Parts: sequence; structure tokens; C-alpha cells
Amino acid sequence: MLRIKVSMNGLVSLLAGILFVGMALSAVPAQALTCKVAPNEIPINLMYNGATLTVTGVSAPGDDLIVKVSSKTTDVHLKYKGKASGLFWMKMGNMEFKNVPNVYMLYSTGSINNLLDAEGRAANMIGYDAIRAGSEMERSDGVEVESKWFDEFLKFKKTEKLYSSQEGTIVRKQSAAGNEFSMQVAWPFQAPPATYTVDVYAVRDGKVVDQSSAPITVAQAGIVKQLSGMAFNNSAVYGVLAVIIAMVAGFAVGAVFKGGGSH
Amino acid sequence: MFMYLPIALTSVNYMVVVGLGLAVGLLSGLFGVGGGFLMTPLLMMIGIPPTIAAATDANQIVAASASGTLAHWRLGNVDVKMGLYLLVGGFLGGAGGVHVIKILRATGGADFLIKMTYVIMLGVVGAFMFVESLNAMRKTKANAGKEPEAAPVKKSGGLLSKLPMQTVFEKSGVTHSAILPLALGTFVGVLAAIMGVGGGFLMVPVMIYLLRMPMHVVVGTSLFQIMFTCTEVTFLQSYSNHTVDFLLALLLLIGSVFGAQIGTILGRKLQGEQLKILLSIIVLAVTVKIVLELVMEPSLLLAYAGGH
Repeated sequence: MLRIKVSMNGLVSLLAGILFVGMALSAVPAQALTCKVAPNEIPINLMYNGATLTVTGVSAPGDDLIVKVSSKTTDVHLKYKGKASGLFWMKMGNMEFKNVPNVYMLYSTGSINNLLDAEGRAANMIGYDAIRAGSEMERSDGVEVESKWFDEFLKFKKTEKLYSSQEGTIVRKQSAAGNEFSMQVAWPFQAPPATYTVDVYAVRDGKVVDQSSAPITVAQAGIVKQLSGMAFNNSAVYGVLAVIIAMVAGFAVGAVFKGGGSH
Repeated sequence: MFMYLPIALTSVNYMVVVGLGLAVGLLSGLFGVGGGFLMTPLLMMIGIPPTIAAATDANQIVAASASGTLAHWRLGNVDVKMGLYLLVGGFLGGAGGVHVIKILRATGGADFLIKMTYVIMLGVVGAFMFVESLNAMRKTKANAGKEPEAAPVKKSGGLLSKLPMQTVFEKSGVTHSAILPLALGTFVGVLAAIMGVGGGFLMVPVMIYLLRMPMHVVVGTSLFQIMFTCTEVTFLQSYSNHTVDFLLALLLLIGSVFGAQIGTILGRKLQGEQLKILLSIIVLAVTVKIVLELVMEPSLLLAYAGGH
């Protein structure tokens, strides 16, 4: 009897455990976060001028969303300008920004600083401050780089349309599929060929509770790919062709015009 | 309306690029300059990286100068002999100038020297041509109605006439020592290499004021020489640096070859002094723009590597 009593106690503990796990699981979204990008391959062809991408998916109702489109972190080499002889503005030397993404675009359902705590932002590299915290700056002459240069870096990247942050741009709606979201990304033509990642974060009570990702591949295609390949792999042929075509075009138009006459 | 450039890695409105080619080609046909000192900054303004802008510009100048040379050849405006002497000098000077820049880049003083050379040379050349042309136009007005004198063959004066290898340049109607165009070609070549331009805007005043060639022969001969210089630059930039964007050059040359022809026709309707004063105004305007860029704080304090 004693053994049966013990087993009953174990059963109760087991049921209590299941109940606890079940309650804990209720903190995880009822509907798993999904993410899809269309198109997920961007061909850079002759008439390429960037693209419009649509990011869609479903999320748990009530969760806020942050979407990050970015490249892998790398070291970016730039020239910095300063006053030479205290008079003239010109390029003074090289400046390296280490461990920063080349492309970084952020979208969200609201103000990111209000949605996600600092720890979450830093852990997932969400926001410019998170990039700043994870990066290093170095000058070619070894002089320590002031923090204002990171602001200049952001300004440069934003002007190049490679960095952007847009809050409140994600559209949400209820449908048979669940709590759907969608948003559009104006893909800049300035983004070089590479593989990029779209990360969608579901956020609740200041914490990331779910995450989903999808890749985007940007690659040269057609005549753009052929010309680029020839310029780098058969540079002598490329150079000769460039000269011959230019000269023939010049002489041909000159011959057609026949605007001369005697002097 | 947009086209992606495989080497510049940027998308451009092709109508804008063809328009730029047309405008600079017109100046090329009109004044005998390649237009590099104008085109390179214009290309940078539409987002082309500086190194690609300069190298690709050389490629399109091959087309514009070929078109212009043919037009001027028909008009009898090309002094081949003078052009070849200047060309040999230019090649030698160019090689020397590139070496100077390499040394300066290693020591860190290149950018300052390039900018200063640009401002001083453009400013001096522009101001001198402007004042000289203005005086010449006043004199022409004062002499209006007088019988024109037959143009004699001009000779170098003073020490220059005592130099060896004196030779007659029939097309230009001048006699100089062969050393003079060779030396001047070398001088322009050095400066052109330092400044990263073809050197047409320097060569033209050298031909007018130092070699005393007539303006219309100056234009044709300058284009003849520029065609060869830019052929060399295009090949070397393609081969060594991969900085020539052929699609961009093609768009530019579609405009520039027509522009060069229109410029040649327009040039025939203008007096030599009028041409000189127009060129000097353009050169001075570019000088002012460069000085302003040097003095005013740029909106972006970071830039991609390459270029000036």
C-alpha cells in the first residue's frame, strides 16, 4: 500500500510538472513566428535600379515585431577628411570601422527603444547603438579615433542608402492563416552582390520571445556579369576592346557627319 | 531610364549620362580639350566612384577625340608633326609624373600637392588666357578696317632660336627647335599625371602662347595628341586597375562623339579670340568650384578610397 501511495504522490508531482511546463509554454507564442521574403534572389542585370522586396509571415497576436535586414559584419575601409595646414579640406588618411555590417536596415511595429530592452538590443545587434558597441575604429596614423567619427560613419552609410531605420512600418492583419504581418523593403542598388539575412524578432515585455530568418541573395547576371568577369579575368582583352570600340565609334560618327570641307 | 554599371557598381539614369557626354564632347570639339577636368567631377556628382570616373572618362575621350580629330583633319587643322613631338614628350612626362606621385603617396604628401597643382595651374592658365584674349579682342576692334598683313612664318625668339634641331612646322606656320615641343610635352605630361587628367587644358595654352600656333590648328592638333594619350591611359587603367567601366564609357561616348562634331561646326563660326575667352571662363569657373570645395566644410567627412 505504501508503494502505491508513493506512486500516487509521484503521479501528482508529474501532473503538477506537466501543468507547470504547460504554463511556462504559454509564455512562448501560441503561433510560431514565420518569415518569407519575395523575391529572395535579386539578379543585377542591365536595367537594375534596386528592387522592392516583400517580407511576410505570421506571429503570435499581441507580440511586437522587429525586422532586421543586414549583411555579415565586416571591416569597412574609408578615407577621412580634415583640414590640411588648417586651411583646406581634403582626404587626410584611412579610417577602418571594424565589425560593422555593410548593409543594415531596421523596421519595427513601434519605437525600438520602447519595445526591446538594452540587453536584447545588444545581444541581437538591433539599433545603431548596438552596432557602435560591437565595433572598433582605427586610423592609419595610429591616432585614437574620437567617438564622433562613428556618427560620421552612420551619416555616410545613410547617405549611401545602406543604413536605415523605420519604425512603425510593419502592417498587421488577422486572416485564416492567423496573425499575419507584411512589409516592403526598398532594396538599394548600392548594396553589393552578397548574401543578406532577414531576421524577424517577436518581442514581448521588452524581451525577444521568438525569431525567424530568411536569406536574400544578390548576384550579378547577364551582360553585367559577363562584362565584370571580363574586366577582372581578361583585363588586357577588355582594355583593347574598350579602346577599339571607342575609336571605331568616334571615327564612324566623324565619317557620318562629314561636316568638314576645305579650309 | 536606369542602367546598372558593372564596374562602378551603381545604377545611373542613362539619359543624364548621354547628356553629360554631349555637353563635354561639345567643349572638346570647340576647344580641343579632352574635358577630363570637367567630366570627372560631373561623374562623381552622379555617384560614380572617383577612380572609375577618371579612368572611364579617358575611355570616352578616345571616342570624342577620334571624332573631333577626323573633323579637324578634314579642315586641315591637324599638325601631325607637332602632335607627334608633343606626344613623345607627353608620354615621357606622364611616366615621370606617375613616378613622382608614387613617391609622394608613400610619403603622404600626394593629395595636398595634387589639389594645389590643380588650383594653381587652372587659375593661372584661366586668368592668363582671359586677360590675353580680352586684350586681343580690343586690339582687333581698334584695328578694324585696316588691311590685314600677310601672316609670316613665326620663329622662336631669343635663346630659343639658338637651340639645335630647328625645324619648320608647315601646318602651324612656325619654326622651332624640336627640343621645344618635346620639352613642353614632357612638362605638360608631368603635370597631367600629377593631376590625373589628360592635360588638354594645359596643352592648348602651351601651343597658343609658347609654340605660337594658330588657334584652329591648336584645336585639331591637341585632339590628335589627346586621342593617343587617352588610348594609353584606357588600356593601362583597364589592365592594371580594372577601373574602366565600358558601359559607362559607351553611354558617354554616344553623347560625346555627336557633341564633338557639333562643337567643331560651332568652332568654325567663332573667332579664335572668342574661343579662347570662352575656354578661359570655363577653366576659371572650375577653379572657383575647386577652391570653394577646399575651403568649405564638406557635408560628409568620410569617403570611399580613391580619387582626389
